[in-house]
Amino acid sequence: MAAQNPGTELDLSWISKIQVNQPAVLRRAEQIQARRTVKKEWQAAWLLKAVTFIDLTTLSGDDTSSNIQRLCYKAKYPIREDLLKALNMHDKDITTAAVCVYPARVCDAVKALKAAGCTIPVASVATGFPAAQTHLKTRLEEIRLAVEDGAMEIDVVINRTLVLTGQWEGSDFIKTSTGKETVNATFPVAIVMLRAIRDFFWKTGNKVGFKPAGGIRSAKDSLAWLSLIKEELGDEWLKPELFRIGASTLLSDIERQIYHHVTGRYAAYHDLPMC
Amino acid sequence: MAATRAGTRAREIFTSLEYGPVPESHACALAWLDTQDRCLGHYVNGKWLKPEHRNSVPCQDPITGENLASCLQAQAEDVAAAAEASRTALENWSGLPGASRAQHLTRLAKMIQKHQRLLWTLESLVTGRAVREVRDRDVPLAQQLLQYYAVQAHIQEEALAGWEPMGVIGLILPPMFSFLEMMWRICPALAVGCTVVVLVPLGSPTPLLLAQLAGELGSFPGILNMISGPASLGPVLASQPGVQKVVFCGAVEEGRALRRTLAGMGPELGLVLGAESLLLLTETADVDSAVEGVVDAAWSDRSPGGLRLLIQESVWDETMRRLQARMGCLRGGRGLDGAVDMGARGAAAHALAQRYVCEAQSQGAQVFQAGDVPSDSPFFPPTLISDLPPASPCTQAEVPWPLVVASPFRTAKEALAMANGTPRGGSASVWSERLGQALDLGYRLQMGTVWINAHGLRDPAVPTGGCKESGSSWHGGLDGLYEYLRPSGTPAWLPYLSENLNYDIFGLAVPSTLPAGSETGPGPAPPFGLFVGGRFQAPGARSSRPIQDSHGNLHGYVAEGGAKDIRGAVEAAHQAAPGWVGQSPGTRAALLWALAAALERRESTLVSRLERQGVELKAAKAEVELSVRRLRAWGARSQTQGHSLQVAELRGPVLRLREPLGVLAIVCPDEWPLLAFVSLLAPALAYGNTVVLVPSGTCPFPALEVCQDMATLLPVGLVNVVTGDRDHLTRCLALHQDVQALWYFGSAQGSQFVEWASAGNLKPVWVNRGYRRAWDQEAEGAGSELELRAARTKSLWLPMGD
Repeated sequence: MAAQNPGTELDLSWISKIQVNQPAVLRRAEQIQARRTVKKEWQAAWLLKAVTFIDLTTLSGDDTSSNIQRLCYKAKYPIREDLLKALNMHDKDITTAAVCVYPARVCDAVKALKAAGCTIPVASVATGFPAAQTHLKTRLEEIRLAVEDGAMEIDVVINRTLVLTGQWEGSDFIKTSTGKETVNATFPVAIVMLRAIRDFFWKTGNKVGFKPAGGIRSAKDSLAWLSLIKEELGDEWLKPELFRIGASTLLSDIERQIYHHVTGRYAAYHDLPMC
Repeated sequence: MAATRAGTRAREIFTSLEYGPVPESHACALAWLDTQDRCLGHYVNGKWLKPEHRNSVPCQDPITGENLASCLQAQAEDVAAAAEASRTALENWSGLPGASRAQHLTRLAKMIQKHQRLLWTLESLVTGRAVREVRDRDVPLAQQLLQYYAVQAHIQEEALAGWEPMGVIGLILPPMFSFLEMMWRICPALAVGCTVVVLVPLGSPTPLLLAQLAGELGSFPGILNMISGPASLGPVLASQPGVQKVVFCGAVEEGRALRRTLAGMGPELGLVLGAESLLLLTETADVDSAVEGVVDAAWSDRSPGGLRLLIQESVWDETMRRLQARMGCLRGGRGLDGAVDMGARGAAAHALAQRYVCEAQSQGAQVFQAGDVPSDSPFFPPTLISDLPPASPCTQAEVPWPLVVASPFRTAKEALAMANGTPRGGSASVWSERLGQALDLGYRLQMGTVWINAHGLRDPAVPTGGCKESGSSWHGGLDGLYEYLRPSGTPAWLPYLSENLNYDIFGLAVPSTLPAGSETGPGPAPPFGLFVGGRFQAPGARSSRPIQDSHGNLHGYVAEGGAKDIRGAVEAAHQAAPGWVGQSPGTRAALLWALAAALERRESTLVSRLERQGVELKAAKAEVELSVRRLRAWGARSQTQGHSLQVAELRGPVLRLREPLGVLAIVCPDEWPLLAFVSLLAPALAYGNTVVLVPSGTCPFPALEVCQDMATLLPVGLVNVVTGDRDHLTRCLALHQDVQALWYFGSAQGSQFVEWASAGNLKPVWVNRGYRRAWDQEAEGAGSELELRAARTKSLWLPMGD
């Protein structure tokens, strides 16, 4: 993540002036999904683009080095080579944006990626993920250790006790949720966050990135997220430095859609490699 | 090879991430046109009518200009055939139980459901509107409308007892309308048992398709007849025997002209005029959401017209920046593309928009255009106009599609003055996160519909209409039903047109009054003055008119009021209006009851006044007694006004408010000098109107007696009573631009004049066409018709959410 938010003085008057009308935002969220779609080549190209935004994620209690290795391989080769060739995209070096794992698995991921010979960054959730209800000291230590192990990006869960009491923290990227909540990335919430990112950019000139995570499973969903970013923030946010999608199963659905686009047939389960 | 070409394309798109075409196939629309051999006639009595020797006009794709079909232009005899079919069908249809009509409407809803793709592609193809809007909004809403009104028809006998269908309804639609506008009107009309003739502009196949779908249901073929022709056939349609009401949707000036033409022709006229909307953005608004409101209002192919945008000065810069950024993301293109915000609307709409932009520029305005829109002719980009000088002609003119004219305001009070300071009164939205402010603005905007923090929401259960020059015809909800009903037993309306009525001189001159014989009694009684501004005043003309009793003897003198007295009375009524509107229904009720008590105390005087006019003692006593009861009854009814609705897909209520009309002028009938006066005055006051009233011409004394009590009981200027020559006073009132409504009970000629003159400010008028009413009967003297006429509806949408 190249974006660097140098930060500003905390000015709570910005926050107090913000008005959000919930029913109006809900309406906008509905509209945005209905008003923009892409078909045919556009759909294929957009889906490939979506692949490059994915933080391919596994955050399970039973993660081991073998499934991490498989994940990393999939990150490097997200779409079957022959499909990419058919689209004349095989030389575009399409990989996912990052792989995202627990701190204890960072080592495994770095090793696997190195073995696959690629430079995809390893992102790690840290700081008492997903609740962040641990001491600041251990949370900082957790980050330090993950970085030592080779993590290039850290998804920090902020202490929501502080947020709810009005004590904010700054960041380079903001994320809708941990993906472990009952409600995760939803359009209405995203709209509010994106508008805040744009306002911050207009005020300070600094671009903050955005990462929806959790519940984005279908190729169609990913297209809707891309057009949401395009509509609310513009094309300049549509790059991995500023936009990520945290997902684990999304990639296989995208691959199925690409398969269908190229072959005109719906893929069987065994037609595509698992990740 | 194909793969490689596609591959090259994909590589480019992968880099640019641009949107591509999402074409919706319109093959089925073309196939349907083929079934008509690409020649569209009219649909009458369940059959296609394609008369010979008619001019034909091409129906074109507004974007490619391709000829899709030719349309036969109707002539008077075709209109007559359609009216005949409606007339014939009426007896069966209106005689059905409501439940059977409900079933028929439900079947039509299902028919639409089955053929929805054909409907939306055809509509989008020929109108050029974004298919997304037609598919996702119009077609589902059309089905909901049929369902909603089917339910209303089902419970009609119970819920609408005392009302009956008017008869044959004529509906005139403007060019560039959506078929949904037609559905809003035909659904309630059919539901209550009316039959309909629709005059659609040439080149609008969707209504014809709809009529065909209705016709193919088999039973009741003649209930919906569709004629394709120019709006100039409107008067022909109105003059067909049996046509009881004409509803016209279209431009303000056309509506005004039609109002004049149809004066005295018989059918009632409902007007739905203009298409401009208003958006009021305060500094506490969620600006981004309000910007989406602007998009909904002007740039999403939802509304037919443009938008006037009022922005609080303190958030002007911020709003303009966001608005301009948002405009850049809008996409225009062929309506049949599933991912465009705006289609095109043909050459006429383009020219209208272009003319407005040029004029605005020449008057010094800033014009900002943006968006991904093809630059060639039928497309018009989203346009934002600002810095228009307040007094320039463009500021007064109606804003056309797809323009937004932005002006700043300083305070909410100023915004209200600006919003209410136009002759238009259609719809508006208020954007404010301050509850009190939003509600205050919502209540005080003179509009038919107000949305709080939303724009353009619609639902079959919510009445939609307007006030002022937007016309006073309603659709949706119960108000939509009453448009096509009249109290049971009302005689059918026949033409009462007097060809030789000269509008220029009707009531212009006042015949001079001379002394009328010897005065009897102990001493000559002083003449009654005019009751204006809470006291009796001498008339401007300084002359009096004699009133004779039933034996031809002099009964007394009353003031001879004139134009200046009317002017004074209207002014007094306007001054009293804010105070009276602000009173609670309880206070109004209390005053009406106090007046009732005063009438009781004055009974003997009133009875003797009536007796001198030839009323039997017993009947006179009964008239006074009934008048007292009427006052009390309306006092009680004023407590129950408005209610809230719950609609689908909206959290929060929609309030159906009943608001006063403003200054209401009432010309009382000659008969029932006390009872008619009280029966008309009481509902007017109960609903918060202030009143200028002309009492019975033959016997004005009972009304003037009551004025003596009103002088002490009622707020100054609330009721003003002007006596004099009825034709002259009627003329003054009907032509007065600042009288908001007029009820006229007098001659047929007077009624015709009132209808003609009301075109000036398009005030709603209620005339008796020379017929007498049974004021002593509950239905005609105190029925819910009066309640409907005495107030206007406003829908206030209040979406909830935290």
